[in-house]
Amino acid sequence: MRNVGSLRKTLASANLGLFWFFVVVIIVFSLVSPVFRSGPNLRNILSGYSHIGIVAVGMAFPLLLGGIDLSVGSIMGLVAMVVFDATLLLHLPGWVAILAGLLTGILAGLFNAFLIIRVKLQPFIATLATLVAYRGLTYAISGRQINPDLTVVAIKDPLLLGVDGQTGQIPYAFIYLVIIVIVTMTIFRFTRLGIDLYAVGGNPLAARLAGIDVNRVKTLCYVLSGFFTAIAALVLTSRMESTQEGLGGGLELSAIAAGVIGGVSLKGGIGNSFGAALGAFLIGTLSTGLILIGVTGYAPQVVIGVILLIAVGYDRFTVARGNRNWLRRQKHNAAAISSATSQS
Amino acid sequence: MVTEKGEVTAKDTRSIVPLQRFIRGYGLILILVAMTLIFTAIQPAYLGLDNMIGILYQVSLIGTMAVCSTFVIMTGGIDLSVGPIVAMAGLYTVFTLTDNGQLLIPGLFVGLLTGLVCGLLNGIAVALFRLPAIIVTLASMSIFRGVALLTGGSSVHQINGPPSFLFIGSGQIAGLPFPIFIFAGVALLMLFLQTQTRFGLNVFAVGENEEAARLCGLPVIRTRLLVYIISGVGAALGGIMLSSQVSTAWSTYGGGIELDVIAAIVLGGTSLNGGSGSVHRTVIGALLIGGMNNGMSMLNIRLEQQLIAKGLIIILAIVFNDKLLKWAEK
Amino acid sequence: MSNNIVLLKATKLSKQYGPVLALDHADMELRAGQVHALVGSNGAGKSTFVKILTGAIAPDSGEMLINGSPVSGDTKAMLDAGIACIYQDSQLVPALSVLDNIMLGRQPTRRFGFLDRKTQRAMVMALLAKHDLQLDLDSPVLALPPVQQKEVEIAKALSLNARIILMDEPTAALSHAEVEKLFRSIRRLREQGVAILYISHMLDEIFEIADQVTVIRDGKVRLAVPIAEISKKTLIETMLGQELAAESRATHDQSQSTAEIALECRGLSKIGLFENIDLQVHRGEIVCLTGLVGAKRSELVRALFGVDPADRGEIYVYGKLVKIRHPLDAIKLGMGFVPEDRRRDGLFMNLSVGWNIIMAHLSSVTRLGLLSQGAIQTVGNAQVTDLGIVPARLDVAPRTLSGGNQQKVLLGRWLTGDTQIIILDEPTVGIDVGTKANIYGLLHRLAAANKAVLIVSSDIEEVLTVADRVVVMAQGRITGNFDHTQVSQELILRAASGEVL
Repeated sequence: MRNVGSLRKTLASANLGLFWFFVVVIIVFSLVSPVFRSGPNLRNILSGYSHIGIVAVGMAFPLLLGGIDLSVGSIMGLVAMVVFDATLLLHLPGWVAILAGLLTGILAGLFNAFLIIRVKLQPFIATLATLVAYRGLTYAISGRQINPDLTVVAIKDPLLLGVDGQTGQIPYAFIYLVIIVIVTMTIFRFTRLGIDLYAVGGNPLAARLAGIDVNRVKTLCYVLSGFFTAIAALVLTSRMESTQEGLGGGLELSAIAAGVIGGVSLKGGIGNSFGAALGAFLIGTLSTGLILIGVTGYAPQVVIGVILLIAVGYDRFTVARGNRNWLRRQKHNAAAISSATSQS
Repeated sequence: MVTEKGEVTAKDTRSIVPLQRFIRGYGLILILVAMTLIFTAIQPAYLGLDNMIGILYQVSLIGTMAVCSTFVIMTGGIDLSVGPIVAMAGLYTVFTLTDNGQLLIPGLFVGLLTGLVCGLLNGIAVALFRLPAIIVTLASMSIFRGVALLTGGSSVHQINGPPSFLFIGSGQIAGLPFPIFIFAGVALLMLFLQTQTRFGLNVFAVGENEEAARLCGLPVIRTRLLVYIISGVGAALGGIMLSSQVSTAWSTYGGGIELDVIAAIVLGGTSLNGGSGSVHRTVIGALLIGGMNNGMSMLNIRLEQQLIAKGLIIILAIVFNDKLLKWAEK
Repeated sequence: MSNNIVLLKATKLSKQYGPVLALDHADMELRAGQVHALVGSNGAGKSTFVKILTGAIAPDSGEMLINGSPVSGDTKAMLDAGIACIYQDSQLVPALSVLDNIMLGRQPTRRFGFLDRKTQRAMVMALLAKHDLQLDLDSPVLALPPVQQKEVEIAKALSLNARIILMDEPTAALSHAEVEKLFRSIRRLREQGVAILYISHMLDEIFEIADQVTVIRDGKVRLAVPIAEISKKTLIETMLGQELAAESRATHDQSQSTAEIALECRGLSKIGLFENIDLQVHRGEIVCLTGLVGAKRSELVRALFGVDPADRGEIYVYGKLVKIRHPLDAIKLGMGFVPEDRRRDGLFMNLSVGWNIIMAHLSSVTRLGLLSQGAIQTVGNAQVTDLGIVPARLDVAPRTLSGGNQQKVLLGRWLTGDTQIIILDEPTVGIDVGTKANIYGLLHRLAAANKAVLIVSSDIEEVLTVADRVVVMAQGRITGNFDHTQVSQELILRAASGEVL
């Protein structure tokens, strides 16, 4: 019973309305398009959007703080290039390449945190600057430019190639995402860190007065954003068996959109990783579905924008409704007051 | 508490103000001059007339757009949707040119109208429905790009004239490329709006203290609407300049340009929280970025290193300017 | 039992801010099982006292003993010593559950930072049971009514093993019924030997809940007695001081106030705030709207000026029915409004004084659609000289000015145009005595010039000094309307506490 309750709460906090909307979208597309409900299509959606989901989960951490990480797209490009160099240029074993990639993501996040906490830049500006800088770093270390022959060479390391694949109809990437969502949801709900994170995002002053190490929490959030982006980068590198300098360009906006659609408030303190992942797949399902039912290939972008507006509009509407309820309560109080005064 | 604090500061105001003003006004120019000197010391050709004109030409597109977006940021908002507006304006200008026997004016009109409508839509969502600007323009960025792709397809549209249209991007007057005149004209116009008109004052007031502005009877909603419209029209102008320069229109033009535009504004010292900033500072911010790119290319610094340096210099310039101001206020 | 043991003894606490002695050799004893009320008007030194107790600031001199041993230090040291504070602003995280809020930053954990929910729940349940508090542990705080949020803060304080709890205006956001509920919780705490320092403007509440009362005025403790030994009247007199400034009594000729009504409202109502308000302000008249905190006076004048328009009722300006839905409507009718929080709602801190003055009357300095610098100079300089703003410059930012000079800038904003009806919300809060006198003089000049002046003020001394007519509000209704010849402190206070006169 407890579990059912907690599942319900999870759904509720990830915007229950969104969940049902998602279900309806799937049902409608399945009824209209036979191709949509086919196995291969499902697999396409899963593999096509799982990595965005992973990045969106990472982005949820800075967003929950009331911050933002615009540099995730560049971190993805950078990590992929580090892995590419490690295996194709330096001929290091696959596990070293993977570790180097993950470490790169962590360090990139750490540097963002440094700029935000120590240098005291606004997160938007700090990560805007590193968006440019990390992309530059990607070009600078590009093995494809150091040795142009490598552009046509595919990665052969079995361990690296094994990062992306599928069991039955389910792509590994989706399995990673599920694991990541479970782990992060556990962090959010069952660890000190998770509670501290909501506290810092929801009421920074109260968090500080309660003795929470605010800077440590912030640092961790930006590091996790970098780390999860690195995982997504590994998946893509493995899938393409190579990389390009521009990999991940514009990803930051998709990830933010997924988060907001999934109920993560840009003001911080509200939302969770399950919502962010759901948001990514809603975008994916809509895009794929619309193309399949014959809307031209470009309509999804319009639809995603509209959904994003609806999501934030809905948020405002519920706030307005909350205010109205408050007013009603005040009215009730006023009535109580007047009856109390007339008695005396 | 207020009183004693006030008395201390009131006494010092006289002596502090000029220095603070100087640094507020010229701190950035000092950075620009320092950068120019460094580049010139290493590579004297940097200061040559041709190169200076080159820099201006290179920054004119971003500069025009950034100058037009400055008011949005001064009101505490942001406009991420300028990229697809660039593409749409270019496309619709070209479509109109082809449909109307290569007449320039209808083409320009439709192009700029595109920007106006897009800006108006952003403005309605932000000013009237009071939705957060970052999400609204993130959404409209996606929507506008989708519309650009739907209407423009994925192919590149070649522009075959008229010469008057191509002149916008690649013509010259008195040896100076025409885009420089556009940039200068738009910047002067915006500076005029900011310093000489009530609208400019409203922008300041709304950005700094919206509630006080309302209590003074200022048109808060109209001001917010207008700043997004101006930003949209500026982006459309950028689109027309770009399409004319490269004599093509394409639905993917302007991708990622929003961040360059914001970087120029922020580098100029306009706070993302609103209430501060100025058009002339954005111009300097754009020149800093342009000068930096140009100088580093002249020094044969590779593109990738330029990008890294650009990121770091943005951070350094902001921090330096901030520290300078704090020091001046002490 | 443990009652009447002295938990906290503060002796000769002093704190100086610049030239102002905010706290002057203040003594206080908090005893276990007592609710100790701390009262005083705005700026009397209450908040300085609280800040010293919570460790937010250090006293210049004096000492504090808790259970007989001296304490000093930062907020953490004070918390450890057993002093917790419930601030007016919520210290809760809205999206988190009650359980997590109570133990925020101190949740018991197992390995790897996993929460030990079982222990945490047991600890909190035991705590709530001990203090007889009933709260839904799993509900997020934002879903709770305000009174329960206060109870969560109380529980949070208790979980810190606080023996001394400071409560700063705890009933500010609560309704009548909720106040009763909170009082029940406070009484239970008292029974359990907790010492409570209760800071409030609401004298009725203090007589209901407190055992002991300390009155502070101008940084000095003026009175410290059991509440049973003092009448409301004496309490108020001690709070305000006796030197009622009869000498600075109205300097404008009352006979000038004409019969013409400048501003009038009939049956003005706004749901949950105020109801059925009838109010008249004549030309040449200064009307003071007074009452206790929470009487909704600010809300009323904000509705009159169109900031937050009323739901029902009519507003008349010079006898003509008008619609005021936006401040601009009011300004066009010749009204002006100086808001209570001049920093938040009034001034543009980074724009110059000149711009701040001209901001509400831009058309008067617009020539051919452009702002005329010359006209701004002329208009602004006139105000700066006339009002004696220091420094007498238009190009400084108001944030560098003192509170009094900032207020003068705001007044200048409305004196610039053809403002006939001027509304001021708490015009002298946080302003030094000299500037206060200036402002009173100015108000009289305005009335003498046949303008209508409506002032919201909580300062009874001020009300008695400047008003031609005093209107008293209580809980969103008008409960008294007195001419300055018949008004007295006592009448005002009776009306303010809800008695309809």
